[in-house]
Amino acid sequence: MASDATDVGKWFGDAGSIDRTTGRLFKWGCLGATALALFLMLVFLLYVFNDAFAPLSADPGWLLTFTGTVLLPMLGLGAYYYRRDPAAGRVAYTALGLPIVMGLFAGGVWLLFRHVAPPRMWFGFVVALAIVVALVRAHERIRPNATDERTVLLVGGTILALVGVPGLFPSLRNLVLSAPALPTVTVMFLLTFALPIATLAGWYVRKGRESTRAGTIALAVVLVAAGLGLVIGPVAGVLPATWVIAVSPVVGALVMYVDRVLRQGEGTSGFAFPVVVVAGILAGTAIADLADFAGPETWLNRDFLTGVHSTTAVEAGIYPALVGSVLILIVIVVSAFPVGIAAAVYLEEYAPSGGKLGRFIELIEINIANLAGVPSVVYGVLGLAIFINLLNMGVGTAVVAGFTVGLLILPIVIISTQEAIRSVPDSRRNASYAMGATKWQTVRNVVLPESMAGIFTGTILALGRAIGETAPLLMIGVPAVVRVSPESFFSRTGAMPRQILTWSTQIETDFRYGVLAAGVVTLLVVLLTMNATAIVLRNRYQQSR
Amino acid sequence: MSGNSGTASESITYGSVGRGIQERLIKLLLFSCAALTVLVTLSILVTLTYDTITFFGFEAVDVVSFLTETNWEPRSGQYGVWPLVSATLTVTVVSALVAIPIGTAAAVYLSEYASPQMRSVLKPALEILAGIPTVVYGYLALVYLTPWLRAAGLPLGTFNLLSASVMVGILIVPMVSSLSEDAMSAVPDSLRQAGYGMGATKFQVSTGIVIPAAVSGVFSSYILALSRAIGETMIVVMAAGLQTNLFDPLDPFGSLASSGRTMTAAMVNAVTSDATGASPEYYSMFAIGLTLFVITFTMNLLSNRIAARYREEYQ
Repeated sequence: MASDATDVGKWFGDAGSIDRTTGRLFKWGCLGATALALFLMLVFLLYVFNDAFAPLSADPGWLLTFTGTVLLPMLGLGAYYYRRDPAAGRVAYTALGLPIVMGLFAGGVWLLFRHVAPPRMWFGFVVALAIVVALVRAHERIRPNATDERTVLLVGGTILALVGVPGLFPSLRNLVLSAPALPTVTVMFLLTFALPIATLAGWYVRKGRESTRAGTIALAVVLVAAGLGLVIGPVAGVLPATWVIAVSPVVGALVMYVDRVLRQGEGTSGFAFPVVVVAGILAGTAIADLADFAGPETWLNRDFLTGVHSTTAVEAGIYPALVGSVLILIVIVVSAFPVGIAAAVYLEEYAPSGGKLGRFIELIEINIANLAGVPSVVYGVLGLAIFINLLNMGVGTAVVAGFTVGLLILPIVIISTQEAIRSVPDSRRNASYAMGATKWQTVRNVVLPESMAGIFTGTILALGRAIGETAPLLMIGVPAVVRVSPESFFSRTGAMPRQILTWSTQIETDFRYGVLAAGVVTLLVVLLTMNATAIVLRNRYQQSR
Repeated sequence: MSGNSGTASESITYGSVGRGIQERLIKLLLFSCAALTVLVTLSILVTLTYDTITFFGFEAVDVVSFLTETNWEPRSGQYGVWPLVSATLTVTVVSALVAIPIGTAAAVYLSEYASPQMRSVLKPALEILAGIPTVVYGYLALVYLTPWLRAAGLPLGTFNLLSASVMVGILIVPMVSSLSEDAMSAVPDSLRQAGYGMGATKFQVSTGIVIPAAVSGVFSSYILALSRAIGETMIVVMAAGLQTNLFDPLDPFGSLASSGRTMTAAMVNAVTSDATGASPEYYSMFAIGLTLFVITFTMNLLSNRIAARYREEYQ
C-alpha cells in the first residue's frame, strides 16, 4: 500500500547532495500550524479573561502588591521545581489543583442540598440505607454462603427503607424522621456527609500505612476540620452547615493525597506551593486593605455567581442557570452512566463473535460509532419528540434535559469504557476463572476494579462535553431566562450554556463584553477543570501500567 | 473492596445452585443496555420520518418545491431548502479549508517530529481545545473574531458566514489532528526504516511514506470532521445570523460576508421562534433534521469503513 505511492526505481538520495532546507521548512511549518491553532485560542481566551476580570481597572498599587505577594513567589517556586525537583513540581500542582477540584465538587453538592434535597430528607435517606447495609453485612458474617437470601434481603430491605409498604408499613426513612428528637442541621451533615468522607480517608490511610492509629488520626483530622465550622463559621460569615459541606471533601482528599506523598517520600517540598499561594493571597489582601488600594471591577464576582438574570448588566447573575446545570448533570450521571458502562461490559465481556447474534453485535458496534457522530441538534429533536411530545414529561425540565443529553453522550461513554475494559490483561480474567469464579464474579471483582481509572477518565470527559451542550437544550425548550432556581428535577430549569446564548443576543456593550465574558469564564472554569483532571488522571494511569 | 473480594473468593468455590439464573439475568440486563443504542437510532429514524410525513402533509408544502425552490420563507409559506443547504455547504467548505491544512500539519508534527516532551505538552493542549463547548466558540466568533476581521478591513456584517466558518474550522482542528495522528502513528516503523535505509531524509519519509501509508486514516478523519462541521449548530446560530441567502457564485465573498441560515440554524429557529406547535414551520425542522441525520450518518459510516480498512492492513 505504501510502496505503491513512491516512484519505483528512483533513489531518494540520487540527487547527490541532500537538500535540508525543504525539510526544515516543512518541520517548522508543521510546528507553526500546530502552534497557530493553540495561539489563536490562547489569544481569544486572554481577551475573555480580560473582559471578565478587567484586571487593568485596578489601582497600580493593587496590581503591584499582588504581583509581589502571589505572582513572583509562585514563579520563583515554579522555576525551582522545574530546574531542581520535577517530582515536587507534580506534587505542587496536584496539591493546588486537588482542593480546587474538590471545592467545585463541594459547590455542586451544596447547590443540591440547598435546592433539591433538604437536610431532613437527606438524613432520613442516608440513615435508612445505612441500616440496610449494616443488616446485609451482618448477614454476610453469619451466613456467608447464602447469596440468594442476601440478594432478597438487600432488595427487600432497600424497598422497605425507602418506600415502605403503602398503607401498611411506613418506610424506614419516615420512621427515622419521626423520631422525637432529631439533631440540628449541622450535626446531620456532620454525621451523614463528613463522617463517611472521614471514614473513607481513614480507611485509605489505614490501608496504606497498615496502621489503625494512622487511620484514626486521618479520620479525626477530617472530622475536626469539618467540625471547626461550628466555631469559625459564625465568625467568617458562613453557616456552619455550609462549612461542613465545603470543607469535608477538600480536607478529606487532601489528607489522602498528603499521606500518599509522605509515604512515597518523593517531592514533599511541593507542598510549599499551595501554602505560599494561600499565604500570598492573604498577605496581598491585608496590604491592599491597609494601603486602601482599590481592586479591579470584575464582572465575575460574588454578586454575579449568586445573582439572577436581570435586564441591567450590572445586576445580572448566573445562579439559577448554575443550579440548573448541576441538576441536569445529576440526571445524566444517574441515567446515562450505568447504562453506558453496562453496555460496554456486555460488548467486551459477553458478546459472542460468531453466529446470528454475533452479526447483530457487530451492527451494534458500528451503530455506536456512528451515533457518536450524529449532530447534537438531532438528539434535541429526538428528546423533543419522545420525552416531551410522546411521554409528556414537561417542556424544559431537568429530567428531559438530562435524558436528552444523556442519550447524546451514551455512545461516548460506551466507547471510552470499552477501551478501559480492553486494557485489562487477559491473564487477570483467566486467574479469576481458574479460581472457579463465574463470568459476572470475574467482571465485578476483577475487570471493573482494574479498569475503574480508565472508566472514570472517560466519564469525566463525557460529562465535560455534556455541560457545554447547548443545541439539544434549545430544542427541548429550556427557557432562555430563569429568575427562580429549579426546585426539583421536574420543574423547568435553566442551564449555563443556554443563559450564555441569551446574553449573546443582547446588544448593550456591557452585556456583550462584560456579563457574557463572565458567564463564559464560569462555564470554562468548571469545564476546563474537569477536562484537565481527566487528562492528568489518564496520563498517570497510563504511566503506571 | 478487599473485604468484599475476600468473601467473594470464599464463596466462589461453593454451591452454584441459582447462580446460573443470576448469571443469565445479568447477561440479559447488560445485553438490553447494549441493544438500547440500536433502539436510539431506530427512534431517531422513526420520529423524524413520522413528523417529516406530517410536514409534507400540510397543504402549503410539497416535496417537489421543498427540493427545487430557492426561497426559505416559512412566514409566507415558501419552503425551498436550497438556501439552507448552500449556507451549510459554505460553512463546511470554508471550515475544511481552515482545518484540513492546520490539522494535517499538526498531525505530521506530533507523530513524526515532536520530541516526547513537546508531545506531552501539545497533545493535551489540543485535547483541551476539543473540550471547549461550542457555545463558547460561537461567542468568540461573534464578539471577537467578527470585529477583528472588520477592523482588518473586511466588509463583514455583524452576522456573517465567514467568521462562523473560520470558527467551525478552528473547532474541528483537534478532531482532524488527533485522528490523523492516530493513523500516522499506526504506520509500522519498518516502513520508515526502509525509507531511511534508502537514504531518504525525514521530510521525504514523512511526505513520501508515512502520509501515503496513512492516507485512508487521514481521509476518514477529514470526512468525520466535515460531518461535524455540517452538524455544528451553536457557532452558526450565534455568529452567522438568520437571514436566508442563497450562495451567489458570481459574488462569493459577498455571500461569505453576509448572514446565512444553515440547516441546523433553521431547526433551532423553527423551535425557538413563536411558531405554534401545529404549523408547517414547526414541522419543517423534522424534515431538515432527517436530511441532516441521513447525511451525517452516511458520512460517519463511510469514514468508519475507510478507517477500518487501514487498520486491517497492518494487523
